[in-house]
Amino acid sequence: MSLLKLAGVTIRFGGLVAVNDVSFDINPGQLFGLIGPNGAGKTTCFNMVTGVYKPSSGVISFDDRVITGTPANRVAALGIARTFQNIRLYPALSVLENVVVGGFLRHKTSLFSSLAYLPSAINETDLMKADAMELLRVLDLESVANVRSADLPYGKQRRLEIARAMATKPKLLLLDEPAAGMNPNEKVDLMNAVKRLRDDHGKTVLVIEHDMRFVMNLCEQIFVLDHGEEIAQGPPEQIRNDPKVIAAYLGTPV
Amino acid sequence: MFWPLRLGSIIAAIAACFLIQAATVHFVDDYGQRLVTLAALYVTLAVSLNLINGITGQFSIGHAAFYMVGAYFTGFLSIKYFEAYSHQVGGPIVWLILMMVAGALGAMLAGFVVGLPSLRLRGDYLAIVTLGFGEILRIIVQNQESLGGAQALANIPRVKALWLVWLLAFICVAVCRNLLKTARGLTFVAVREDEVASAAMGVNVTKVKVTAFMVGAAFAGAAGALLAHYEGYITPQTFAMDVSFIILTMVVLGGTGSITGSIFSAMFLSYLPEYLRSLKAPDGGTLYVSGATILQWLIAIFLAVAITRFISRSAQFPLGKRIAGYVATLLGAFVIGKILGFILNLVHPLAALLVDAGQLRMVIFAVALIAIMLIRPQGVFAHHEFSWGWLRQLFRRKNRPTTAVSS
Repeated sequence: MSLLKLAGVTIRFGGLVAVNDVSFDINPGQLFGLIGPNGAGKTTCFNMVTGVYKPSSGVISFDDRVITGTPANRVAALGIARTFQNIRLYPALSVLENVVVGGFLRHKTSLFSSLAYLPSAINETDLMKADAMELLRVLDLESVANVRSADLPYGKQRRLEIARAMATKPKLLLLDEPAAGMNPNEKVDLMNAVKRLRDDHGKTVLVIEHDMRFVMNLCEQIFVLDHGEEIAQGPPEQIRNDPKVIAAYLGTPV
Repeated sequence: MFWPLRLGSIIAAIAACFLIQAATVHFVDDYGQRLVTLAALYVTLAVSLNLINGITGQFSIGHAAFYMVGAYFTGFLSIKYFEAYSHQVGGPIVWLILMMVAGALGAMLAGFVVGLPSLRLRGDYLAIVTLGFGEILRIIVQNQESLGGAQALANIPRVKALWLVWLLAFICVAVCRNLLKTARGLTFVAVREDEVASAAMGVNVTKVKVTAFMVGAAFAGAAGALLAHYEGYITPQTFAMDVSFIILTMVVLGGTGSITGSIFSAMFLSYLPEYLRSLKAPDGGTLYVSGATILQWLIAIFLAVAITRFISRSAQFPLGKRIAGYVATLLGAFVIGKILGFILNLVHPLAALLVDAGQLRMVIFAVALIAIMLIRPQGVFAHHEFSWGWLRQLFRRKNRPTTAVSS
């Protein structure tokens, strides 16, 4: 049984077919890589899964439930969380507050108790802050909990995005180029962190990444997109030697 | 321990309101009391608009419409039912409180109506829709004979309760402050900061926006109810576009998103035009100023603004030195103004041109606004809120480590 299933998903923007007839399955607990050259349609795939775009045709199902065209906040409630290629934190909020927003899905107290600052709202806010602190500990951001997120260095902002996504307690975590702009050491740290998310926290992870070494070392299953179409799918060893993939990345010999 | 504290603070707030009323009635005349009342109404309006504009980031410039809905709705109700029912519910004050609630509910409904279609719009587009909404409502009211048409909805029973006006302002501030202290409030800020990311985190962006509009509108509506029963008559012109803009100016001047800023700039901006109105010559007659005097002060202000901008941009100066710099700038500008005045008065046409100072009221108002926004574009309080800790930190800026953390 697969956790996320894309079946014949296609999206057109006017005359441009950005993603054409893409199908893949992600099993629970898998580390799944989505790769391809620039403009291949990887982020568009993410946006369709998370409800930012509605596919022109095809079906996306998550946990045996069709989620095609479900609004983004409902998708998040079902258990899909994501990070963004170009970091999208809340710059004016502190690191801790950013993560608290991620936990809002499970927020129960009423609007009135928030407006009146009743004990229920106070307690729940405290609990959410404690939960958020716990996550910051996991991602090693504890020391900067009260720093404005805009003031964080780049690598930590990336990690904070993951922490915020984790705060929604997702079943499936979508990481959009998490290692972009990181130095080799940071990449190794990140890779270990993502592995821990799977091993210790039981998350399924779908990751878009440009860095081949990163993907090959991290993922168990890889899907290669080029010009919006599937060109290969399989375990890393197979992808590495696939002539079509090599052609897409390195070009064909003249 | 929670409830005794809470109860204590509520009683303290009510006591403070009665104290304000007693002091006002004791120390100032009718006109002054009117200013104190209007100041509280504007605090309510500015703080509630700040919830929509500053905290949730929805650029709304039709706040006067919600104010109007509250005023007309309750004014209409009171004209019809005050005589018959006010004594049954327990007197005029209780009636006024009921009217406040009614005004809040009416405006909340209006807020819901504006909130819904505005969801797909952002920034300038939303601003235009809210502006249009305000004008449409005003014109509808203007054409209703039953609401007094273009003249006025007059003969609204007048209930004076200065303390209640201030209590509303207190409640409005408390509610916004409370919201910001809870996790729910963070989602409002999150929507302002990044809608796409908020939706991806499971925040119902639609609900947050509509809630902000409804809560903000409710307070404006309650303020409208109090205004109607304070003045006894209301006209559509009371709620024209410029009122919306004044409220917006209060929010921006105080620092978008800062409740503290909204409070102070609401009081300042509601008082300034009235103060300027009262400018009179020493003998009580009309005060005339010469063209030379106007020019002299404009140049002095320009200089002061330029130097102040330079000082405030030099962040490495500690606060003490900066304040000294500001004071020196002000004194310098004053002296330069005086010297300039002496020279300019030698130019005959400038010295002979006499202008009624009362006519210059709004010009001075505008110059003051422009000067403040040039000196501090982020608003007087920027995104800061008043707190005792903040006050302490302000004076210790010199020793404060930089906020940026290196990896």
